[in-house]
Amino acid sequence: MIYVENVTKEFKKTVKNPGLAGSVKSLFHREYETVKAVDDISFEVPKGEILGFIGANGAGKSTTIKMLTGILTPTEGKVEINGQIPFKNRKKYVKEIGVVFGQRTQLWWDLPLLETFSVLKQIYQVDEEQFKTRMAFLNEVLELDDFIKSPVRTLSLGQRMRADLAASLIHNPKVLFLDEPTIGLDVAVKNNIRKAITQINEQEKTTIILTTHDLNDIETLCKRIVMIDKGKIMYDGALSEMKQQYGKYREVNMSLFQNEDYEQLHFEEDLKLGGDDLKVVRNKEKITVTFHSDKISVSDLLSYILNKTQVKDISVNDVNIEEIVCRMYGNGVSAS
Amino acid sequence: MRFLRLYGTFIALHLKKLMEYRIDFLTGAVSFLINQITNIVFIGIIFSQIPDLDGYLFYEIIFIYGFSLVPKGIDHLLTDNLWKVAWFIVRKGDFDKYLTRPISPLAHVIMEFVQFDALGELLTGIVLVVVASVKLSISYTAGKIVLMIIAMLFGTLIFTSIKIACSAIAFKIKQSGSILQIFYMTSDFARYPVTIYNEIVKNIITYIIPFAFTAYYPASYILRGNDPVFCIGGTVVLSLILFGFSLIVWQKGISAYESAGS
Ligand SMILES: Nc1ncnc2c1ncn2[C@@H]1O[C@H](COP(=O)(O)OP(=O)(O)OP(=O)(O)O)[C@@H](O)[C@H]1O
Ligand SMILES: [Mg+2]
Repeated sequence: MIYVENVTKEFKKTVKNPGLAGSVKSLFHREYETVKAVDDISFEVPKGEILGFIGANGAGKSTTIKMLTGILTPTEGKVEINGQIPFKNRKKYVKEIGVVFGQRTQLWWDLPLLETFSVLKQIYQVDEEQFKTRMAFLNEVLELDDFIKSPVRTLSLGQRMRADLAASLIHNPKVLFLDEPTIGLDVAVKNNIRKAITQINEQEKTTIILTTHDLNDIETLCKRIVMIDKGKIMYDGALSEMKQQYGKYREVNMSLFQNEDYEQLHFEEDLKLGGDDLKVVRNKEKITVTFHSDKISVSDLLSYILNKTQVKDISVNDVNIEEIVCRMYGNGVSAS
Repeated sequence: MRFLRLYGTFIALHLKKLMEYRIDFLTGAVSFLINQITNIVFIGIIFSQIPDLDGYLFYEIIFIYGFSLVPKGIDHLLTDNLWKVAWFIVRKGDFDKYLTRPISPLAHVIMEFVQFDALGELLTGIVLVVVASVKLSISYTAGKIVLMIIAMLFGTLIFTSIKIACSAIAFKIKQSGSILQIFYMTSDFARYPVTIYNEIVKNIITYIIPFAFTAYYPASYILRGNDPVFCIGGTVVLSLILFGFSLIVWQKGISAYESAGS
């Protein structure tokens, strides 16, 4: 369904020398510097899958989405979706896709939502009957009724995001691209949007690519993730596998009756563990020990702690995916 | 057909919006009117000093001036959104949405906005042409009127083409509002007979940025019976060449579009 092969995108940036003299100079002689926003990435997405696309700020997620949606032309490489090349057969291609950029609306500022939808209906040439069923469905899952008569400019962020999502789905696209669809939303609206995405995926077998910084989105929606960093793919595979691979870390959260007791704990000397294998973070009362469960067993670690200190409260948890991703972003661990 | 229906929808929506922003619309229209009146008073002052301008009488100048407002006004009414493309739609990355919709991005961006303020300009133009025609007792035939309308429509295309080409430069350099403004301002030269300018200016506004064909040449056919093949035919041919050229520039521009990081 979606094939991305060795795709690279470079942006030319003019180098501005500071000051007036610099500006004048750059009028006559421009210096360019190329930025590789996306660097030789390849992946495939089968029909009906929800793919989570993650990475730190500036990693190249939006740039990739823009190439997949035909907005940007790749500098190198090949993109093929539904058998079409996005920027070449654009008009035909975009009929089959829906796009939401969470950062900016695609709707008309002054138009009431209802009219916005009817204009889009004309643009996408959706026939009356389909439009009605579609609207009823979207109304139900996204709860648009409360604000469907209001002009877009009066909508709250959460309402606007639901409206944008609905607008991207009016023509029943085969592929849906969502670039940060939950940015800035409260938990309830996030849940609402996730529910809608799940339903659309299940009912219509819509293929979905989703970028987000909220890893709860990923956990609830995606089985597979692609992680990029500085334009390169760092990980492509099942979420569960990534958790296994990097998720052998666990953490002990505890607090002590006497804070001075902490001085009794010398993990490094006593257990010969440190670096990535064992990390301690203290936040006031709260002590968090993150450790690799292959290097030391939970029971060994607990008995060590319990022997040395008076523990008020202690629990052992899996490291959440956020922690894992943070580790990967930070270390630049490459994996395949 | 489909375009016309869609355009109809957009216009209807704009009329509704107009009602919502009545005050803004009235202010806009009045400011255009004041602008036009100032220009006419200015022409009046010139003529109080001199009997004629290079052989053209006051009402002939008014005729050319009024004529020039018609294509300019129609273009202004219909394609004003191109200014926004030149100034900020491209620079801010807001052009993205036009590229993800299954109609021509150019048609879409143009249809999306109707500048009703321009009605002031258009109406002033028509009134001036009518008043001048009466004062000069021009004898119209059906053929003359048809040719005049053709010239006005293709003259509009000259304005639109120049706006398309200039705003498309923004795709390459992010913002081309000032460039568009410079080109657009040269249309002011077309309000007067080209014979009053030196050869350089005359050739530029005749063959390069052919604004002279949006008013002076077709008007001189009506007023003086100058060669219609050159005066009206020139408008049609040059506007079509320019339009073709502007579409190529636009298409090239779109493939250079870089969006914006967000
Ligand atoms: N239009 C552009 N012109 C120049 N450089 C750009 C442009 N768009 C993006 N970039 C650069 O490309 C890189 C990737 O940006 P991109 O927007 O794809 O990141 P992202 O992964 O979406 O980040 P975020 O999570 O912050 O949205 C960044 O270094 C950015 O500065
Ligand atoms: Mg982004």
